[in-house]
Amino acid sequence: MNGSFKQRLREQSEHYLLQDSVRRLGHGVPGTVEPYDAPEGRAWRLLFVPLYKRLPWGVKQRAMTTLRMTASGWTPPRREPGEPWKPPHRQ
Amino acid sequence: MSERLIVIGGGGAGTATATLANRLGKDLKVTLFTEFPDIAYSPCGIPFVHGREIEKFEDLFLSTVDRYVEDGLDMRMETAVTDIDLARGTVTARNTHEGFDKLAVCTGWTWEKPDVPGANLAGLHYVKDIRAAMEFDKQLDEMKRVVVFGGTPIGVEMAGNLAHRGLHVDFVDEGPWALSELLDPDVAEPVHESLTKRGATLHFGTRVEAFLGEDRVRAVKTSKGELECDAVIVCLHKVPSTALAEAAGVKTGTTGAIMVDERMRTSAPNVWAAGDAVEVPHGLSMLPIKGLTGSHAYGQGRVAAFNIAGRDLVYDPVWIPWGMVAGDYTIGGFSIGETLATAMGVPYIVAKGVGITRARYYPGAERTTVKLLADPETHKLIGAQIHGGSGVKERADFLGFVAKRGATLEDIAYMENIYSPPIGALFEPLAIAAQNGLAAL
Repeated sequence: MNGSFKQRLREQSEHYLLQDSVRRLGHGVPGTVEPYDAPEGRAWRLLFVPLYKRLPWGVKQRAMTTLRMTASGWTPPRREPGEPWKPPHRQ
Repeated sequence: MSERLIVIGGGGAGTATATLANRLGKDLKVTLFTEFPDIAYSPCGIPFVHGREIEKFEDLFLSTVDRYVEDGLDMRMETAVTDIDLARGTVTARNTHEGFDKLAVCTGWTWEKPDVPGANLAGLHYVKDIRAAMEFDKQLDEMKRVVVFGGTPIGVEMAGNLAHRGLHVDFVDEGPWALSELLDPDVAEPVHESLTKRGATLHFGTRVEAFLGEDRVRAVKTSKGELECDAVIVCLHKVPSTALAEAAGVKTGTTGAIMVDERMRTSAPNVWAAGDAVEVPHGLSMLPIKGLTGSHAYGQGRVAAFNIAGRDLVYDPVWIPWGMVAGDYTIGGFSIGETLATAMGVPYIVAKGVGITRARYYPGAERTTVKLLADPETHKLIGAQIHGGSGVKERADFLGFVAKRGATLEDIAYMENIYSPPIGALFEPLAIAAQNGLAAL
């Protein structure tokens, strides 16, 4: 997959997942209104969002890594509970 | 033998890279190119000058071009770089080629433009450049009604500040509450109340369909009717300025920003990048993100400068403590809230609590609400939202730091805290929230 396709995939998926999230979490909460009901993006809303929601987080993470959506050239943070804080290895 | 570093961009990342590389690299000759006439000012302060919270734009300047020149930097003001040739090691500016040994791309960002009819009309204003802000501020004196388009942080700041100035402000966004891409819905009510109290009229769940007018905008057509206006302040998303780097063959990532490693190196040899033009990974998901804050830009510029100067320094994945004032109401947090966690599908548990910012008998004590998000299995913190009262910023900074080190709900529930009636209550609000969360398990 080339860069612009992955960028488009990410933009669209984030947009529709976020729309679904605010609609569900905000429903009936004081101070909120119904979000604008956009006519576009039916396939994203009716196919992609329900499918994505059914997948466990571990599967989603593996898919994002396989598709190389995660950052490369970076050290993932060490987050070990109970381990005393140590300064990162720096010169 | 000395080497030449060229820095493109005079924002937070560019000035940090140039000044620190100049100090650290004994044999570096540093040249900074910026298309703008000014440098070293705080663009984040612009809404507050418009709102008359800050007296004048000159107060936003932190330094002068002369100071940078005195420090030994070669400053090329109002000089746009139009081309980068990596094979020859040159940049082109004012039709002249300038050679470099090392290059730092700190080209910042631009505003997302509305994709609706009338978007090229005069009277659509974008908050960014201080000179444009000074001119716009004079025009505001003659205006009565403005539309703020976009429920982003800058949109909230502009709506609150222009209403504070006495203008009729219509604040429009498609989302169901202000900052809905960042903020959870349980914070919507106090934020909206504060903006409304300042005089803004809120139009959420509303799409902008067109800007109306002959040469200059006179109204905004929305899905719920027309809003008359003298100007529109467009506050959509930040878009990284990468055209120059991309044309030179530097790789961009899934956010559209320049890909860098933890030493701020790009895909091209001897080319670094920092600030709003780059993407860096989120500490929780390692997914690249863009469009962070001025302090992130400075920190990335610092890391780039160290590595350019031959030192070894790495930048950590980010946990993004954030905070702001919406109207008069303080909000903040770190990492993700429930809205984003739900959208991403990240499993989480919630720990909520309400505390006070001073001893309850001490004048000025305010309620502050804390919501912590934690991993259901390990109880490690993954995000938080805090609102109301003083200390939101400090709590968000603290949580961002300890989450990076793997802190759990248990750590926070039994943390030590300061009890001093004028500045802190007996029970720390963060600890109250964590204890409540653990008790509910």
